[in-house]
Formats: sequence, structure tokens, C-alpha cells
Amino acid sequence: MGREVKGRRVSESPNILLETRGLAITFGGLKAVDGVSLALREGIITTLVGPNGAGKTTLFNLITGQLEPDAGDVCWLGRSIKGQPHWKIAQAGIGRTFQDLKLFNQMTVLENALTVTERRSWLWQSGGRAAAAERLARAESALEQVGLADHRHTRAIDLAYAERKFLSIARILSAGARLWLLDEPASGLDPRSYERFIKLLRDQVGRGITICIIEHNLDIVKGISDRIAFLDQGRLLAEGDPQSILSDPALASIYFGERA
Amino acid sequence: MLLLQLLVNGLQLGAIYGLTAVGFALIFGSTKVFHVAHGASFTLAGYLFWWGMTALKWHWLASVALAVVAVVLFGLFMERFIYRPIQRHEGAFFTVFIAAFGMQIVVQNLVGTMFGRGFETVSAELSRSVEIAPNLFVAPIAAVAIAVGLVFYFGLNLFLARTQVGTGLRALSDNPDLVRIFGLEPTRLAQVAFALGSALVVPAAALTAVSQGINPGMGSHIMLISLAATIVGGIGSLKGAAMGGMLLGLAESVAVWKLDPQWSEAVTFVVLFVFIIFRPAGFLGRAQNAK
Amino acid sequence: MWAYLNNLAVLITINAILAVTLNFVLGYAGIFSMAHAAFFGIGAYTAALVAIKLGGGFLLATAAGMSVAGLLSLALALPALRVRGEYFVAASLGLQMLALTLFSEWKAVTGGIGGITNIPPARFPGFEISSPPQYLVLSLVCLALVMWGVSRLVNSSFGRSLKAIRDDETAASAAGKNVAVVKTMAVVVSSALAAVAGSLYAFFLSFINVESFTLDTSVYLMAMVIIGGTATLWGPVVGTVLILLLPAVLSFLPGLPQTEVGSIQQIVYGLAMVLLMIYRPGGLWAAKSKAGA
Repeated sequence: MGREVKGRRVSESPNILLETRGLAITFGGLKAVDGVSLALREGIITTLVGPNGAGKTTLFNLITGQLEPDAGDVCWLGRSIKGQPHWKIAQAGIGRTFQDLKLFNQMTVLENALTVTERRSWLWQSGGRAAAAERLARAESALEQVGLADHRHTRAIDLAYAERKFLSIARILSAGARLWLLDEPASGLDPRSYERFIKLLRDQVGRGITICIIEHNLDIVKGISDRIAFLDQGRLLAEGDPQSILSDPALASIYFGERA
Repeated sequence: MLLLQLLVNGLQLGAIYGLTAVGFALIFGSTKVFHVAHGASFTLAGYLFWWGMTALKWHWLASVALAVVAVVLFGLFMERFIYRPIQRHEGAFFTVFIAAFGMQIVVQNLVGTMFGRGFETVSAELSRSVEIAPNLFVAPIAAVAIAVGLVFYFGLNLFLARTQVGTGLRALSDNPDLVRIFGLEPTRLAQVAFALGSALVVPAAALTAVSQGINPGMGSHIMLISLAATIVGGIGSLKGAAMGGMLLGLAESVAVWKLDPQWSEAVTFVVLFVFIIFRPAGFLGRAQNAK
Repeated sequence: MWAYLNNLAVLITINAILAVTLNFVLGYAGIFSMAHAAFFGIGAYTAALVAIKLGGGFLLATAAGMSVAGLLSLALALPALRVRGEYFVAASLGLQMLALTLFSEWKAVTGGIGGITNIPPARFPGFEISSPPQYLVLSLVCLALVMWGVSRLVNSSFGRSLKAIRDDETAASAAGKNVAVVKTMAVVVSSALAAVAGSLYAFFLSFINVESFTLDTSVYLMAMVIIGGTATLWGPVVGTVLILLLPAVLSFLPGLPQTEVGSIQQIVYGLAMVLLMIYRPGGLWAAKSKAGA
């Protein structure tokens, strides 16, 4: 039971981790997101594609609670999270990277990975020394997995471009997020770093992480997607397996801007 | 009748506050620069107008023109030589604020050194009160202030709505990237915003010189009020800033009805707090919560 | 001569406490408080009243001052920090002006413009601090404690949360930080510690009035932090020393009219702030960094 997709077993009906229902938001007369209903299933990589300005990043902002929708709902593990504060949703297990990375530039690599594990807003964390050691171990492990362990005391702002991208992944890895929302994580990566990146994503998915990636580069899209969701002008035009989406001529013409 | 008197004073004060606040809101809204040196513009305008009238003995139009030229130059100077270099580096809110603040201190003290630290006024026919009803003393200056406020406010709105530059300023406020698409340069528009926003303080400063009097410290006082008015009215709304200024002017004046005059300034800040606690978006602002 | 230097040293130490604590919120958390002088004043007035009316010693007076300042800062922080940074600036300015009015007008409590006089010397169980050198020692001990406390916090998980928020508030939120609560805690800590300086000041001078707690004072404190260097432990101390020595230096320069010294001081600070922001935003004692600012 279960289809083989790109050499990995994908069960026919895995759990829905996150679901949006009719999500919509309008900015000054413009419908940035217009009735989007999307389900992200466990252990699956979904790519979100569409022309510029299609509302992909806005959709992420709605899911993570940075923006409050005008209509619709967002459900995480079956329960609505609409209206919850951004930080609470992050603590619930939804991790997110940003197009402009938003690293903690003046802090070191290790501090970046460590601070995401420190969840209490009080003057000290709970659990004493044992818990502190466990958090440090998690941060170190995340740095190992992205290959930044040697740079742990370098300031984020002093890292090379590809290393900065990996640091943003290390943060959500260290935080222990179950769902990763990645906003153009691979743009500008050299081929070697790109390969390393893809391998990292596949490893994580193998361990049960769910990933949704906004991506423009069609080669990347073809290479990693289990499913593709196509957004245009705020609307979800199509959602399905890569074969059917990528071979649809109507979608291709929208993507490449051939309509009037 | 006292209340009515205070209301009239409040409207006069409100017009002055409103104009200054709108100038600040225009600059902040279009360029996102927290131009706390706006108060310094007010001080410069007030003092140059006063100097023109009393020392140089020019006609009031010429004095106003002098003030306008100085203030526009100051605004453009800040934009070109202070804010732009900072924004090229990293332009954090912090850095811009401190630089503006430092400038405000410099101007305040330079003015104090050059012109003296006391209160100065420009005497004019307009500031002589006339008893228009039993116990109701109104100086024509009040009517002038309100009229001037209205004229400039609606003039500004017309400018923003009807001209290309005005539309560009509004677009800049909503989305800086869009502006280039319309063939306008964000830098040029920023300069217009600073020039225009700064110029708006001139009528307010001149009116203050004629009515209450000016002193070097008034820059920081008016800056506080403009800030408060922008928040009370709603960040991102010029109409809000004008309304906020008017409300604060009225509140400060009417407060004297029940409280000692020394507490009237405190009233402004109580109003500010009330808004921050219960309605941070202000009257008309777009709700901008910490994300 | 020694008396003068002693007094200057105590004042520098007291101001250094204020600068270090202001830097905690300004440099590490990126929060703009224009109300630091108000909390300084609240600490001073509370300590003075506890000493005079209740006969309290230094520890009780200081604890009282810290509690009052801390609670009041909660009242400022809770509403203002829910929204953007600009709101906090305005709200803190508002609080500073309100405090100023209260200090000047609430005669029953603060003595109005006349202030509070005849504050008894700082008492500890068993001994009294009465001579200037003793006050210097007391102030230095307090400064050391404050700097130790701030340094511990900055290098802890709380410090990392603050720095994360300063570096990128959105990303900090995305990392699960309840930004408003963290910022509020930072403001409360900084205000309570500022009250320590207030208490020292009240006992040392045995007289306080509103003149020491004005907006101008808040501005001086800002200048000390910025010029000395934000986000470093010693930067604010360097800034304090420079700024408090400046009047002395200026008074030795020939040709400067005495009446204008105050103005010239301020012009120097103002210009320093402007120039530093353009060329060296990290301040004079900035962390040695590769990438400029």
C-alpha cells in the first residue's frame, strides 16, 4: 500500500498537518489572497509556484499569524489557529524562513540556533542546567546537520551567502518545527550548496518533517516536489502532482506571462 | 462664557498644532523617516519670522518668505546630508531618530545663543482681543489661525490628489517600489516631501509668534505634540494628524476650565496614553500591530 | 580640589548606573525610552520619602524606589509595547513630561518646585554613610553590582531574546518569542535599576528637586549611551565620563562666554550624535567588528 513517488514511499492518505479553508485578505482594494483552500499533508514536500505578486508570501504570512485574514480559517492539527499571535503559532511547531532571511545578524551562528530553543519570555528558562544542556545539544546538532558547526562563533552578518541560507534552515531545525514554510530558500545557491540543500530537505522529510516551499526556479520545483500548488492573483488555480501541473499548457502560459 | 472662550483658544491652538502635525505626518508617511528635527524647523521658522518683522522691519509677507526659504533649506539639508547617508549604511530607526534628535538639540541651542532664551512676540493688530460678546474676548488672530489651517490643509489635499508629484507622494507612502514604475524617482519625491512638510510649519510658527510668543524650547514642545497628534490621529493618515492636532489643542485649552494651568500640558499626554492603550490605531490609522 | 574631584566621581558613577541601565533597553533591546530620567526621579523621591517619613535605611529606601519605578514602568510598557517602536518613543516622552509635571506640582509629596530637603544620610544596620569618600565607595559598589547584573542578563537566554528582537523583531516572533513580554521585562528591569541611581543621588546630595529629572536629563543620558557605544558593557561608562568631564574642559577654554557654556555643551553633544550616527553608529567604544556598523 502506498505509491512510490521519486523513490520514497508516500502513503495514500497521510495526515493533514495544516489546512487553510477559503483564506482571504484584501489590501487597499486588492485581493492579495482570494479564497485559498490548501491542505499540507505530513511528510510531503509541496511547492508553491506562481508569477510574481501571486500572493504566495502573503499566504505564508496568513498561515503564520503575521497577518490576520479577512475571511477563511487556518487549521493546525485539526484545530483552528486563526487569530492566534505569531509567536504562539511558531511555538506550536510551524517554522518559517524569509526571502530576506532575517537572520539575527549581530549574534553568532550558535546564538542564532540557541535562541530559538529558549521559549520562555521570563528572565530565565525553566528546567535548570539539564534542560539548558539539552537545548545547547539541540542547537549544536542543528548546526552539524547544516554544516555550520565550524562557524559557531562567527557573527551571522560575517557569513558567506550560502552559509547564511543554511543558518536560516538551522534555526527552524533547532526549533524542532514540524512544518517548514520556506520562502525561496534555494535562490542564488551554487550547484554544490544546492545539492547539499536538497539532501538536507530529503533527510528531514524522511524523519517526518513536512515542507512547503515557495520557489520560482522550475528545475528546483521539478527536482523536489511531491505536490505542486499553483497560485495566481491570490487564487489557487491548481493543486496536484508535478506531472499534471507542469504539463498543463494553460498554467504554463500564465506563469510565463503570455496572457494579455 | 469661559468655556466658550477656552474653546475658541483651543481651536486656534488646534489649528497651529494640526498644521505642524500634518507636516510631520506627510514626511513620515511618505519617506518613513522619523523626522524628529521637525520641531527644529518650527523653531527656525518662528524665529526668522520674528527677526524679519522686528529686527529687519520687513513686511510680514517678506518675513514669511524668509522663514519658508530657511525651513525648506533645512528640510532638504536634513534629507540630503543626514538621513540619506544614514539610510545608505543601514538606516535603522534608531540611528535616524538619534541623528534627528541631535540636530534638534543643536538648533535649539544655536537659536537660544543667537536670539536669546526668553519669550519673544511679534505685536500685531491681529492679536488684540475684541470683546465680541459679554466676557468673550477673541482676537482676530484666532479666526486667521483657523482659516489659515483650513486653507493649507485643503490645499495640501488638493495637491496630493490632483498633481503628479502629489500622487507620487501618496504612492510612496503605500509602496515605495511602485513609484519607479510610474516613472518617478523616490529620491526626488522624498525631497518634495521634506520641503513641503517643513514649509507647512511656517504659518503655524508665524501665528505662534504673533499670539503666544516663541522661545527656543518650543521646538521640542511642538515636536511632542506633533508626535502625539500623529498617533492619536492614526499613523499613515494626514487627516488623522490634523484631527489629532485639533483635538490636542482643544484638550489643552479646555483643561484650564477645571484644572490649574500647570496641569494643562499633562492633559496632552493623558490623551496620548488613552489612545495608545485603547485605540493604538488612532482615529483613522491602519492598525499596525507589532508582528 | 579633592572634594571637587570626589563629588565629580560620585556623580559620574551615579550617571554611569543610569547610562548602563538605559543601554540595556536601548542598545540591547532597541527600545527607545525617553523616560529614563523620570524613573531616576521616581527612585530618588521614593527613597527620600522612605528615609524621612519612615526612617528607612539605604536598603529599604532603595528597594522601595525600585518597586515603585518597576511598577510604574509596567504601566508604561504594557500598553505601549503592544504596538510599533514609534509608539513607545511617544509614550515614554509622554510619561517623562507627566512625571515632570507631577514632580513640580504635587507639593504634598514631592515638595513642588522646592523639592525635598534635609534627606538624612544613608543608613545601614550598624553604620552610616556620611562622608563624600564613603559615598564614592557606596556608589562604586552599586555600579559594580548593576554592571554585574546587566552583564549576567545580557549573556543569558533573556539577553539572547533581547538581541534577537533588536536584530529582527519579525524573525524573533517567528522564533517563538513573545516580543511584547520580553520587551516589557527589559523595561521593568532597566527602570528598577535606574531607581538605584536615584536613591544614591538623594542620599548623597541630601536634597533633590525636579531640575535634575527633566527631559534634558533624559537627553544627556541618551547622549552618554550613544556616544559611548551601545550594546557594549563599558561603552556607556566611557560616554558618561566624557560627557560629565566636558563642562569642566569647556570652562578652561579661553574666550567662551560663561553664560553660553550650557548651550555649547548641548551643541557639542548634538553634533556628536549626528556625526556618530552617520559615520560610526556603534558609538566610540563600538564592538570591534569587521563589517563597519
